[in-house]
Amino acid sequence: MKLEMLAVFAGSSLRLAMPLLLSATGELVSERAGVLNMSVEGMMLTGAFAGAMGSLATGSPVLGLLIGIIAVMPVAALQAFLSNTLRANQIVTGIGINIFVLGATTTAYRAVLGSRSRTEIPGLGKWSPPFLGDIPYFGDAVFHQTWMLYAGLVIVALTAWVMRYTALGLAVHAAGAEPRAVDKSGLSVMRIRYGAVFFAGFMSALAGCFLSIGDIHTFTEGMTNGAGYLALAGVIFGNWKVGRTVMACLFFGAATALQFQLPAMGVDVPNAVLIMLPYLMALLAVGGLVGRQSAPPYLTHAFVR
Amino acid sequence: MTTMALNLWQQMRMQTAIWISLAAVLFAVLVGLALVASMGVPLSDAIVAFADGAWGSPYAIAASINRALALGLVGIGFVLANRANLTNVGGEGQIALGGIAATAMSLYGGASHLPGPLPFIVPMIAAALAGGVWGGIAGVLKAKVGTNEVISTLLMSFIAIWLVYWCVQSEVLLRQPMNNTATLPESLEIPDVTKLPLLTGDPGMPLHWGLPIALVLAVIVAIVLDKTVFGLRLRAVGLNPTAARRAGIAIVPSILLVLFLAGALGGLAGSFMLQGEQYSLKARFSSGYGFDGLVVGLLARGSVPGVIASALLFGFLRSGGINMELAAGVPSAIVMVIQGIIILTLAGAAFWMERKKSGK
Repeated sequence: MKLEMLAVFAGSSLRLAMPLLLSATGELVSERAGVLNMSVEGMMLTGAFAGAMGSLATGSPVLGLLIGIIAVMPVAALQAFLSNTLRANQIVTGIGINIFVLGATTTAYRAVLGSRSRTEIPGLGKWSPPFLGDIPYFGDAVFHQTWMLYAGLVIVALTAWVMRYTALGLAVHAAGAEPRAVDKSGLSVMRIRYGAVFFAGFMSALAGCFLSIGDIHTFTEGMTNGAGYLALAGVIFGNWKVGRTVMACLFFGAATALQFQLPAMGVDVPNAVLIMLPYLMALLAVGGLVGRQSAPPYLTHAFVR
Repeated sequence: MTTMALNLWQQMRMQTAIWISLAAVLFAVLVGLALVASMGVPLSDAIVAFADGAWGSPYAIAASINRALALGLVGIGFVLANRANLTNVGGEGQIALGGIAATAMSLYGGASHLPGPLPFIVPMIAAALAGGVWGGIAGVLKAKVGTNEVISTLLMSFIAIWLVYWCVQSEVLLRQPMNNTATLPESLEIPDVTKLPLLTGDPGMPLHWGLPIALVLAVIVAIVLDKTVFGLRLRAVGLNPTAARRAGIAIVPSILLVLFLAGALGGLAGSFMLQGEQYSLKARFSSGYGFDGLVVGLLARGSVPGVIASALLFGFLRSGGINMELAAGVPSAIVMVIQGIIILTLAGAAFWMERKKSGK
């Protein structure tokens, strides 16, 4: 492989992995607290839509990002309310929200833009870190990315740190592992789980905005196209640990990037196989073929005081 | 509590469930109508277009019912597995596998040369087996490794969707021979003898043999669930696996069998869609029927008549929604909004019903 191609490949892998990285990190926190938030897909789509519309309406992608985040909060509130307070089946609520959001964003998109669907949407600017951006071959192809990618990496790293080294992280872990003990210690399981779902919503909103105003500067109907489920697969493959989840998402990103790379290299691998690969890997992981899986014991179990 | 009082109590709960479901549907439809109105489309136009598409002609009615068949089969499978407290969310993948198997069998498996009604029956069986194996894998993982079947069936759905894609993209698999650059990535049309025969012979009313087959299966499953030892065993496994094991019920075979059967019903749904309606395998073959079928199963709250009712509801909703987009310019996505609201309302309402049951 030529050096230029390797650089393009690395750059696009990182770019394609980013939405997964963000949403999977949020999902990880939610699942650690005991809530299987299957509505990542819907949350991402809401973020992508609201971010794009906000950016279009205000002309400012940063305001668009803000609007995207705000728009996901009611969705997160609904998910948290249904799965914690009403103790509804978390799979059902997730699928319900995903169907609802796909319908709602498609309808709203047609109503708002209609025939103007090819309108360019103002997107977030790009930025190269000092020094790294100056590396020959790689500097431009790998590191010249939207600044949101770097901000996202910082947020993921911060989350990993909070989850590992702080009392808050411990409380989140405990809410999914020993909710009774958390309750006895005087903390509110309910509050932790609500917070975790809102955090998942925030991260999914970032992921969605990254797709629409960070990466391609447009919105298309149902543009998440299963990325939310891929994020869930990432968490599973990552065995509910931040480090491994990050690796899984990067790998999924690389697999997606290969779809565009392999034909250019003259290698004939069916597209479908590469797209399927992440799901297959996640299935092998949950099937116990890649080491022992350890899901949070109280995942999907609503807490009753 | 005497048996009679218990029956009465169950009846009352059933009635509450039906009323809540109806209220959820009504609420969702009202929201849908409000959305249509807010888009500036005259309500009457939208409603007329919806009715036309859903039940405006014999053709429309038959198309709606055919849609309901696929949804209903997946829904029945869901209810069956759910009796053992297993949640099969893999309908989409099981439909896809059924479609692949039925296409392969019809085109290249030699089914079309068989005598009598076998040309369309053999692909159906192949589809059911393929779907069953796909569902059964989740059963094996559940029984051997303890993998949550929700996660495995969901992942397998995505794998299956892309398997279809692969099959129709690759000439070595099911893609039609590429004679020129314009050939679409889809399979050849299946031979006429392998298509499901119409009930009336009138192409204006394309109800096919899937209808009686699905009805018979529905009756069988209803009887098996409520009147047989197997049904009781499933319930025991679902309610308390430990107690069921102590009582001598073999848990692993039960899990395997029930997930196989649920998958087989999904596979059969796929064969109905292929042999009764689409006639060639395309990339987005399953097009959400599996996920809708899952919702149909959820709405039914464990009862087979409930599956039939909600499958019909969703079948007519889909047909009406498609025509609403074509004739009145209202995005058919509104139907998804309506479906989403129904699911979420019912998911939330379950809380009050459970609370009533436990008398808190």
